[in-house]
Amino acid sequence: MAILEAKGVTRVYETRGVETRALRGVDLAVEAGEFTALAGPSGSGKTTLLNVFGALDEPTEGSVFLDGEDLSSLSPAELAARRLHKLGFIFQAYNLIPVLSARENVEFVMELQGVAPAERRERALAVLAEVGLGELAEKRPTEMSGGQQQRVAVARAIVSRPKVVLADEPTANLDSKTASQLLDLMEQLNRDHGITFLFSTHDPLVIDKARRRVRLHDGRVVSDERA
Amino acid sequence: MPRPALVDATVWRLAWRNVGRHPRRTAIVLVAIAVGIWGVFLTMALNFAMVFQMVETAISTDLGHLQVHAAGFDRSPGLEHRIPDGEAWGERHLDDLPGVRAWAARVRGDGLVYSPRASVGVRVLGVDPERESGVSRVSGSLVEGSYLDGGRGRVLIGEALAKRLSLGLGGKLVLSVQDVDGEMTGEAYRVGGLFRTSWSEIDRGVVFLRLDEGQRLFGLGSAVSELVVVAEERDRVEGLRDTIETRLGDGLEVQTWKELQPLLDYMVSAFDQSAWWVYAAVFIAMAFGIANVLLMAVYERIREIGVIMAVGMRPSRLVAMILAESLLLAAIGLGLGLGAAFATTAALSDGVDLSHFAEGLNAYGIGTRLVPVIRSQDVTTPLAVALVTAVLASLWPALHAVRIRPADAVRRV
Ligand SMILES: Nc1ncnc2c1ncn2[C@@H]1O[C@H](COP(=O)(O)OP(=O)(O)O)[C@@H](O)[C@H]1O
Ligand SMILES: [Mg+2]
Repeated sequence: MAILEAKGVTRVYETRGVETRALRGVDLAVEAGEFTALAGPSGSGKTTLLNVFGALDEPTEGSVFLDGEDLSSLSPAELAARRLHKLGFIFQAYNLIPVLSARENVEFVMELQGVAPAERRERALAVLAEVGLGELAEKRPTEMSGGQQQRVAVARAIVSRPKVVLADEPTANLDSKTASQLLDLMEQLNRDHGITFLFSTHDPLVIDKARRRVRLHDGRVVSDERA
Repeated sequence: MPRPALVDATVWRLAWRNVGRHPRRTAIVLVAIAVGIWGVFLTMALNFAMVFQMVETAISTDLGHLQVHAAGFDRSPGLEHRIPDGEAWGERHLDDLPGVRAWAARVRGDGLVYSPRASVGVRVLGVDPERESGVSRVSGSLVEGSYLDGGRGRVLIGEALAKRLSLGLGGKLVLSVQDVDGEMTGEAYRVGGLFRTSWSEIDRGVVFLRLDEGQRLFGLGSAVSELVVVAEERDRVEGLRDTIETRLGDGLEVQTWKELQPLLDYMVSAFDQSAWWVYAAVFIAMAFGIANVLLMAVYERIREIGVIMAVGMRPSRLVAMILAESLLLAAIGLGLGLGAAFATTAALSDGVDLSHFAEGLNAYGIGTRLVPVIRSQDVTTPLAVALVTAVLASLWPALHAVRIRPADAVRRV
């Protein structure tokens, strides 16, 4: 069974009477363990699709299934719970809560999950060590580089043991070397722990690292290939 | 089962950190709340001190806590309503009564006092000097002479009355009264002492003389007009009244100071009520201050709020977080304001000099020194209301926060 599935998803934005069709009938299934890039030029609908998959936005038409469950049937609080327990998020930038240290940011989702403090701390430090930030655990986001902040975001996304991590252009604000290192980290987590990743990008170098490449154009899936 | 959001340590830790995020902005709103609260509590403390003094003066120079009269005295306070063998009654029933600190018998009547220079309508009070000093402060307010213990034929009058009569210590005056049979009668006395209280009415319009001389002047025999009782504890006055009531024979009644002077009691509650207008003004200002700061905070944190909602924070926790920020601001501001108010009253424990206004104020029995006092009951209810106000003030920004759609918020850079 697919972990994420979009069936005939259309998303129409309406601003001051102007309609924008961001997604036009997308069918896409993401299977457990995949490492998938969502590619396409700017404005092709990548962010919209990730938001719909991530229970942050609702399709105008069609359905989205997370772990077999139709998201349209859930209340806001239930959607929050699904995001908390089944999904991890990495955004392009400013992922972290500025008043919390790296460790506290990582612990935050576990706090929301109700994990006991001692276990929380242990898991947060372990994950930070795994993403190579063991030394910076007590630093606030403002004291870290962009690449380090994105690593904390990765740590936060995976520490809650989600079914799938959604990453919207996680490397867009990074130089190419740092971007490549972040992708290597994600791939390693995917390989070692079987964590499913779905990330959007328009960077060819990043697309190359994916094992499955889904291309969007004008809100449609135009190709879907596996390496 | 999710925990209630407001008892959530995560929520409070975030709120606490957020409050510390803009130190200057936080400081400004805290100072504003603190200054407002400080001003309110200090004003209230001074107001209360005034009312308290007014009541204390009335109780300690005239009313006592309780008075026993012949039935009917309340409606027409004349000599026809008198307590036969009043002193003996008091000795029998009040001397050993638990809860009674002191009591005294009095003769009370109206009269005219003449000096060679003027005549003034006065209240004539015949008192037992020894007992009276247990129920009244007048004995402690002497400025010249002695307190009715300097021999017979002496009266004690206020300095102000002496001035109106152009009399000094030892000066001669004549008291003219209607006796118990309605006959005009009079007697000559010398001024044996002068007093000054903080109640101008007493100072200007009362002549004290010895109880036995009063009884003779009015032709009362061993009857008295009233028995004044001071209770051990102010809060137990009503209970003491009920006890005394059970001992009253036919034709006697007992009343508390509140029943004797309903106006005085009314003024106390009117002051208490007027306080709420001042509180309301300060709390509304506080509410807007807090709402404003939190709205600013929500608007500049839209993206961040989007992220924390995206990672799975429930809307109710988000509301709780903003509510907690509001409560923290209010609690710290209130704490500072209250601390400052207590510190100020401690510094003013010798009293505030009101001598510039005293001329007007002592018409109400208020002295020239006011000691501001903050009572705990003046603090607890307003503080509770202030915290509720803070909760209400946070609803508006909280509503803005939960209406943030994470999908839109995380697109912002
Ligand atoms: N909130 C919105 N309101 C109106 N139009 C939007 C909104 N968000 C995105 N769009 C439009 O939808 C289309 C797809 O946008 P997006 O999903 O952000 O694409 P991508 O992430 O691939 O750049 C674009 O034309 C964009 O302008
Ligand atoms: Mg995008």
